[in-house]
Amino acid sequence: MPREEPPPERQATWSVRATASANKAPVEARPGALPDDGRMPSLSGALRQATPPPPKGARQWLQSHRRQALLVAFVLPALAYVVIFFAYPLIYGVTMSLEKIGFIAQSGPFIGLHNYKEEISDPVTGKALVDTGIFLLASIFFQFTIGLGIASYFNRRFFLSGLLRSLIIIPWLFPPIASGTIFAIMFAGQGGIIDETLRSLHLISSPIFWFDSSFKAMFVIIFVNVWIGIPFNAVLLYSGLQDIPGELREAAALDGCGAWQKFRYVTVPLLRPVSLIVIMLGIIYTVKTFDLVIVLTNGGPDNGSQLMSTWAYTLAFQNFQTGAGAAVANMLFVFCMIVAFFYIRATRREVAIG
Amino acid sequence: MNQHLTMQAFWKRRARRFLLPIGGLVITGFMLLPIYFTVETSLEPTSALQALSQSLLPSHFILSNYRVAFDAEHGSIITSLLISLGAVVLSVGVGLPAAYGLTKLGYLRSRAVVSVAVMVLLVTQMVPGISLTIAFYKLFLHLHLLNSIAGLILADSTSGMPFATLVLRAYLGSIPAELSDAAYVDGASEWRTFRSVIAPLAVPAIITSGLFVFLFAWGDFLFAYTLTAGGSVTPLTKGLLSFFTNNTVNWGPVLATVVLAAIPSGLILGFGQRYVMGGLRAGALKG
Repeated sequence: MPREEPPPERQATWSVRATASANKAPVEARPGALPDDGRMPSLSGALRQATPPPPKGARQWLQSHRRQALLVAFVLPALAYVVIFFAYPLIYGVTMSLEKIGFIAQSGPFIGLHNYKEEISDPVTGKALVDTGIFLLASIFFQFTIGLGIASYFNRRFFLSGLLRSLIIIPWLFPPIASGTIFAIMFAGQGGIIDETLRSLHLISSPIFWFDSSFKAMFVIIFVNVWIGIPFNAVLLYSGLQDIPGELREAAALDGCGAWQKFRYVTVPLLRPVSLIVIMLGIIYTVKTFDLVIVLTNGGPDNGSQLMSTWAYTLAFQNFQTGAGAAVANMLFVFCMIVAFFYIRATRREVAIG
Repeated sequence: MNQHLTMQAFWKRRARRFLLPIGGLVITGFMLLPIYFTVETSLEPTSALQALSQSLLPSHFILSNYRVAFDAEHGSIITSLLISLGAVVLSVGVGLPAAYGLTKLGYLRSRAVVSVAVMVLLVTQMVPGISLTIAFYKLFLHLHLLNSIAGLILADSTSGMPFATLVLRAYLGSIPAELSDAAYVDGASEWRTFRSVIAPLAVPAIITSGLFVFLFAWGDFLFAYTLTAGGSVTPLTKGLLSFFTNNTVNWGPVLATVVLAAIPSGLILGFGQRYVMGGLRAGALKG
């Protein structure tokens, strides 16, 4: 290697610094930052000639840090927002979960982990936990498989494919409460379109009351959530499929692979990173679900379709057990943070590869 | 044999050309059936509801459901518009400078700090709203922000602000550093560089993030429901729920309200689709 190429960040650092110093006082860039080997951008070269030799030491330090401080000031409002609207409420949520608080506007004495112990042994919380798990697994499974099916279907270009692809996103852009209302009406036991259709097809003889058992209520909630989640999965998986070079599949075809083998040995491994991200984002969106349950079942019948989110809400805002509600909300938070950890690990690897 | 094969290939290709769009139409139609049902019912006289499944097209169009819906919900629509626009201004107004600062700091020596900041922003997007809103209630109670538009703007920006910052940062990172450096050399201050060079260049990303923040805030139900409890400030999502629970039989106006609530989604899909797709990918795949 005849001459060392400056690493890209240093080059960037250098050019920023040089321009920074050019602005105010005639201060040179960091001494010995880079050899002037003629490969610098012409701008920097011109600067170097224009600026007189630098006074070293404190002034220079101030100069570079002044710029840094200025840039930090740009970030400061966002930082303040994050502290006030994330850090503070989350910490406050922890302290509330350790207190015996009834009505939400009141405060109460410190009782340690009592709320957590009580909620873990509470049958409704237990059911909410299990139901959230079922809701999560079923939603993700169907969203992903159906989304993948749609994505692969649209992966071939055909007449209208672009238009149809963009129309499919609509359910995802709808306010969830609006989607929930639509389906609450469609699933209505008397006069609901789903019931009427089933009856006119002679599949059922008497109306089905979709919301009178925990099982049916959960089915409807999962059904609607899958409907909402399919577009998101389809769009991201579609872009993942588009990124797979067609030659790979052609090569596999030349090697005698059938459609299934091409899917199994070319598409699946190459789609893995995107799939992981889609699934983890799906988990996070799904576990936050709140609106759908409220409008479809309001957690009923008899708390039979409470998810962790709605159960935390019910405890804190309706049952006057705010401490317990905060405890349930924190359990949900911890779960989300575990998923977030894996998500960030996966995206980092993804970024490193890409 | 050869002849037979080419014929087969010919028919296969021909069939594909017709069958693929038809299959695509069927898939899309199936996905959008509930929306079709909504629009159709909202345009029908309520008395025709009984014959719902028999008729795919409304027997005759009426707009009275929309009049009822609008009379009941116009206040909520305005409230939701104010909240959503406020959230856009706050999120982009705070997020754009932050994105600029983070991008520039990344060029200086603070790479580790910047990647921690980005990670924090990513993580905040994954915090469930319910874990925040219980504390928000108490916080807002003391700050007298309960049942106020300002309070909901602040709360709704919890999903918008980090998202906007991340999308904007990803975009600003793609703008060559030389551009802002050139402005700087010409004597522009940091603020001026940001305002007259970077901000105009970032317009596409501003639109993308703004659209998403608008949609988040417009669709927010959790904060609307918990932070206005019993109060007079009623965003459309909350208004829709109470309208629905008070009209369990008369669905026409309720579904008309659903359509009104979905108008921003439709507009965004119609006019801002490429921004939406860009945001979807940027939000999901970039850090």
